[in-house]
Amino acid sequence: MANPEHVMGVVGSYPLLVTLWLLPLFGAILCWAFGPQLKRAAGWAATLIAFLAFGLTIASWGAGTQSLNGALGADQPLVSWMAGFHLGLLLDPLSLLWACIITGVGALIHLYSIGYMEGDSAFARFFAYMNFFLFAMLTLVLSDNFVGLLIGWGLVGLASYFLIGFWFYKPSAVAAARKAFVINVAGDVGIMFAIFLIVQKTGSISFGNAFAAADTYGPTLLLAICISLFIGAAAKSAQVPLHTWLPDAMEGPTPVSALIHAATMVTAGVYLIARCAPLWSHDGNAQLLVGTIGGVTALVGAILGMVQWDIKRILAYSTMSQIGYMIMGVGVGAYEAGVAHFFTHAFFKAQLFLGSGLIIHALANEQDVRRMGGLRKRLPFAFIAMLVGVLAICGIPGLSGSFSKDAVIQGALDRGHPWLYAVGILTAGMTAYYMFRMLFVTFFGKYRGDVDPSELGIRHPEFAGTETHLADDGHEQHHAPAWLMNVPVAILIVPSIFAGWLLYGGANSPWHRFFDPQFGVGHFVGVPISEMTTTLVTLACVAVGILVAYLRYGTKVAREKSVERLRRESIGMSPILANAFYFDVALDALFVKTSEALGRLVSRILDPHVVDGAVREATIVTQWSGALVRSFQTGLVRAYAVFLAVGIACFAAFYAFHGVH
Amino acid sequence: MIAFWIIAAVLIVSALWTVTARKPIYSVVSLLLNFAALATTYLILHAEFLAVMQIIVYSGAILMLFVFVIALLNSGIAAVVLGRDRVPVAPAAAAALAAVAFVATAIAAAHAPAIAPIATHSPLGAVGRGNVFGSIGDFGQALFLSRLLPFEITALILMVAVVGVVLLAGDLTPYVPTRRRAEQTRRALREAILREGK
Amino acid sequence: MATSFAGVPIFDYEALASILFFIGLTGAIARRNPLVMLMSIELMFNAANLAFIVFARAWLNNAGQIFAFLVITVAAAEAAIALAIVVVVFRSAPQVDVDEVRVLHG
Repeated sequence: MANPEHVMGVVGSYPLLVTLWLLPLFGAILCWAFGPQLKRAAGWAATLIAFLAFGLTIASWGAGTQSLNGALGADQPLVSWMAGFHLGLLLDPLSLLWACIITGVGALIHLYSIGYMEGDSAFARFFAYMNFFLFAMLTLVLSDNFVGLLIGWGLVGLASYFLIGFWFYKPSAVAAARKAFVINVAGDVGIMFAIFLIVQKTGSISFGNAFAAADTYGPTLLLAICISLFIGAAAKSAQVPLHTWLPDAMEGPTPVSALIHAATMVTAGVYLIARCAPLWSHDGNAQLLVGTIGGVTALVGAILGMVQWDIKRILAYSTMSQIGYMIMGVGVGAYEAGVAHFFTHAFFKAQLFLGSGLIIHALANEQDVRRMGGLRKRLPFAFIAMLVGVLAICGIPGLSGSFSKDAVIQGALDRGHPWLYAVGILTAGMTAYYMFRMLFVTFFGKYRGDVDPSELGIRHPEFAGTETHLADDGHEQHHAPAWLMNVPVAILIVPSIFAGWLLYGGANSPWHRFFDPQFGVGHFVGVPISEMTTTLVTLACVAVGILVAYLRYGTKVAREKSVERLRRESIGMSPILANAFYFDVALDALFVKTSEALGRLVSRILDPHVVDGAVREATIVTQWSGALVRSFQTGLVRAYAVFLAVGIACFAAFYAFHGVH
Repeated sequence: MIAFWIIAAVLIVSALWTVTARKPIYSVVSLLLNFAALATTYLILHAEFLAVMQIIVYSGAILMLFVFVIALLNSGIAAVVLGRDRVPVAPAAAAALAAVAFVATAIAAAHAPAIAPIATHSPLGAVGRGNVFGSIGDFGQALFLSRLLPFEITALILMVAVVGVVLLAGDLTPYVPTRRRAEQTRRALREAILREGK
Repeated sequence: MATSFAGVPIFDYEALASILFFIGLTGAIARRNPLVMLMSIELMFNAANLAFIVFARAWLNNAGQIFAFLVITVAAAEAAIALAIVVVVFRSAPQVDVDEVRVLHG
């Protein structure tokens, strides 16, 4: 049943690719096994391995972009289990892009972590987990089949669980880790279900066979496969309503938030849909569904981002919103645009997180923006980094975000989804508002760390008793050299600004030339709104957002009275927003409460009366029959002889009446 | 024909005597008579080898074993005290039922159509001649050629029986003095050490 | 198949074997002396052997004789083991009465 000719890439032997894949696993084992011996060198070893992996990715560029007889990229067979079940590695433009981001941004964040995690008692363990995450993520994006993808999918969830709960002595971190893991596993089940459907239909787990048979599934099965896959994508990529784990995941160390919960892992859903583009392209309903959920997520994330006070939660909701854009892009069929937004977002969001990490690090783990303020002069480098990131995410022309975001918004319109187009533009304006709100509150005005938390409307200060202090004299606390954390941020500034220019030039841009062999040239419905118009409308909306943020937080008067304003806002916040639209409550009522009710039902009725009842009946029957049989065991040998004789008589009687044959 | 009836009468009478005799040794003697009569029947039925086996194995070996055990038991204790033998109703009924069923089966089997011969069979001839049905040569060929596996299983059964008998009735007491001796040695050693300590 | 040999119908042989078997069975059930029980069992073995040999003769097939041979072997093994058990029991108890040995009582 398997058609071996349906491979995605040029089959061959690619030692570089295998090395790239296994190198981080080696690093993880190294850091894990020899952590106590390596001490600080563990961080350097892990970082070196991440950079080596990036080098190997670049070295595999040629293999990943080659094209031969319709096969695109490199396919390295690894294991053949049985017909239709061949595991292997695939490097084509799509996975090449992801591998570049995973190893490139990953390496920079590794470097940053050496400084950030300085002095942590589990320094080596952190880097073991980080390298393990790289391995898991590479497994996910480099697999040439669904099973390998699912293995990677599960492993990144595991790495995420490890790293969210890295500070396992914090109960909130453990709870967040567990929540993330459970929701992600719910998604894994969706993917598994999709794999079952595909294998049942095609008899093969490889992408090539599954996609070659895309037009034979029939509408119902295809929709079922797409929805199952999207459940997995939604859980991993924090799409409504499975997004609630992402803000909680900010309990992990900030580099983890930057790498896993902003740049790479949470975009796995985007990768999955882009990878399965041949399936989505055949199903307009699935496209509509995914695009709509992406748009809703973008909007919900932006709305909730507007009312957060924790700097990392602002960024987390922003991440959720931006992934909503990506999912919207790949969902409606604008794969190149959605993937491009992943590309630029990886840079500027990593940079924003690392910048926030600089602040958090300098303020001794203070994350509440209400207790910041006026940091522009104290932390000028962090301010520049954050400013560039904010400008990029807002889509200021010339910076990376503007190219990709406009491409997504335009893509939604081109594919005939004007509502998503409107949502995209609206969300862009809201993004600008909450990003500049964060910028004004954090960096302008005067420092509020010494103000009593209750005056700022903080009811439950998270770090009660911890003296928040400015690291004016960083030399006193044995901090790692500042360049360790500053250099990665500085490097990230460059692509944050310029990466978008790869999209410049419309259909002839380097981006399109890179991805056209993968996705083909898209077909357009042709709504007559030009790209320039879209950009201008978006820009107008962004300008409104910035203006509102400026009027509320940025003017001289607002800066002067920031304490009163923040208290008023904190206390007067709408309960709907404060509870994040009650998604947690709804999920709790829908799944947890029903499961508990079911469990109670089982434990009160089914278990005592049916299960235990059956066991009790069985024991009664056993006792009764045992007593019956025991009565034969008289111990008298002659009685046994009688029983024997009776048995023989029965046999003999049977043969006498039945005949010997 | 008359010979058959005489032998049948001897068989039945000796069997009854075996079962009813008060002393086991009488049972043995009557059983010996029974086996001899049976061996004669085997000869009539052209089973020369089995007739010989009947005398050698049953009369020679098994009955001697019984006699030996009777002698052993009687030598230890004055008399084997037994209660009165009686035939309870249920066992008697069961035995009668079994006998009836057995006779019925025998009749059914006797009137059953012939099944195809399994082994190559030799022609019937006078007892004592070679290469006729039931002669030593005929039986031996069947035993060592076409029926080798049952024969080998027989050997295995006998070996298992030997091992079982040795385990059951074998005298394992020689080990006890050894253990006791070892205990004595240990005790002596301990006392010697205690003396050294003083 | 011969229905009679030496003037005696095969049925008579079978009846004889049945009677011997019945006598042996009665002895095995009714007697309390283990030695007599064992001898009764030997009687039953012999009755079975007689039936085997009669049918071997009737069908001129020496499979029956081979089986009788097997039965003799089993009887010998059985006698040896059973007598060993009798000896062992007699070692621990002053009297040899099967009704007194009831440790298998359930």
